[in-house]
Amino acid sequence: MKTGSCRPIPTLCMTDSPQTPTHRQLFVGMLQVALSAFGGGLSAWSQRIVVEQRRWMSNEQFLTGLTVARLFPGPNQINMAVYIGASFLGLSGALVSLAGMVLVPFTLLMGLGVLYFSVHELPAIDRVLAGVVAAAAGMALSMGFKILDQYLKDPVALLLAALVFGALAFGHLRLVPVILVSGPIAMAWYWPRRGRQGS
Amino acid sequence: MTLPLLLASVAACHRVRISDLANLAKVIGEFLTLSLFSFGGGNTLLAEYHHLSVEQFCWLTNSQFADLYALAEAAPGPSSMIVGLLGLGAGWPEGPFWALISAYGAEVAILLPSTLVMVVACLSWRRLEHSPWRIAFERGLGPITLGILFAVGLKILRTADVTRAGQLSLPGVVVSIVVCVLMLRTRISPLWFMACAGVLGGLGLINR
Repeated sequence: MKTGSCRPIPTLCMTDSPQTPTHRQLFVGMLQVALSAFGGGLSAWSQRIVVEQRRWMSNEQFLTGLTVARLFPGPNQINMAVYIGASFLGLSGALVSLAGMVLVPFTLLMGLGVLYFSVHELPAIDRVLAGVVAAAAGMALSMGFKILDQYLKDPVALLLAALVFGALAFGHLRLVPVILVSGPIAMAWYWPRRGRQGS
Repeated sequence: MTLPLLLASVAACHRVRISDLANLAKVIGEFLTLSLFSFGGGNTLLAEYHHLSVEQFCWLTNSQFADLYALAEAAPGPSSMIVGLLGLGAGWPEGPFWALISAYGAEVAILLPSTLVMVVACLSWRRLEHSPWRIAFERGLGPITLGILFAVGLKILRTADVTRAGQLSLPGVVVSIVVCVLMLRTRISPLWFMACAGVLGGLGLINR
């Protein structure tokens, strides 16, 4: 395969892939990932099944996929499923992979949702939920702190983060315009240049 | 819920019905757009979801939104599937059929654009990988994601830990902060935190 040419034929991005799954195998594989991860740890299960059990990708290829999945918009684990599917079978592979990943958990969640809307006005349920929600808010609060460490030595990053935070939380601006303004500024500052590669 | 409160919420916010096709197209358009801006994983959009479903379209109350967020976090699978729950809430008054159509529609709308971008990204990664655009994008995105996640955390806290009268619930805030610290310092499954907090709530120790 020539460098830079990626056409929708089998193994389009992985020239040295050990095995090329079919649509059906992709669907079943992603279904297996989704079901295995019912207790949590979606990313680890994905790696175990795709790399170790089914040997569709090398570990290195999988990690490249994770980088791409984190970089582009969309939930990371869903993007990863799309990446795996698209690597082998293009758009149709991506859609099959995505369906395998979300179908069962989504249907289950909708069942829970229907149950919720049917019973949430009961006082006992509402009292329990008041507690559960406080814990969930703690989880949401921890997301920023989880990635804070890696930016502590970069004052410009902290300034950018503070400006974005202020605009959203206190300026009551919407996310899309905030990204459209702050994104190009951040990209200009972090544009790769000689002598400032370390940042 | 008492009658005066109900009246107040109706007066403050006009519920957008999604069985009206013009409204439906508008709602789908909002989700399709947001999909392309869901950088840094799915959770960066949570404050926008709150804005759309509670403030703009008035499908849900504050506490219902908080409940659905907790439900999506507790259930297996990516927590970004909360969008399906919002769709369910949007269609619920129109009956279960509309609710499910709306739920699946919302989830497809939020996933489709990012999926298409991801397919293109995968197929052209060899060219993108060493491009200065890619490097600047990746480095610049980090600090912005950091700022968004803090704003989202604060928004969820303000949504979850308030009483129906709109005042901050002190026990709720304390539980949230304790859970936040435990999330950062331990590797205990968050399901345990939710279960324990649920018991505290059931005992009437956390009010809203």
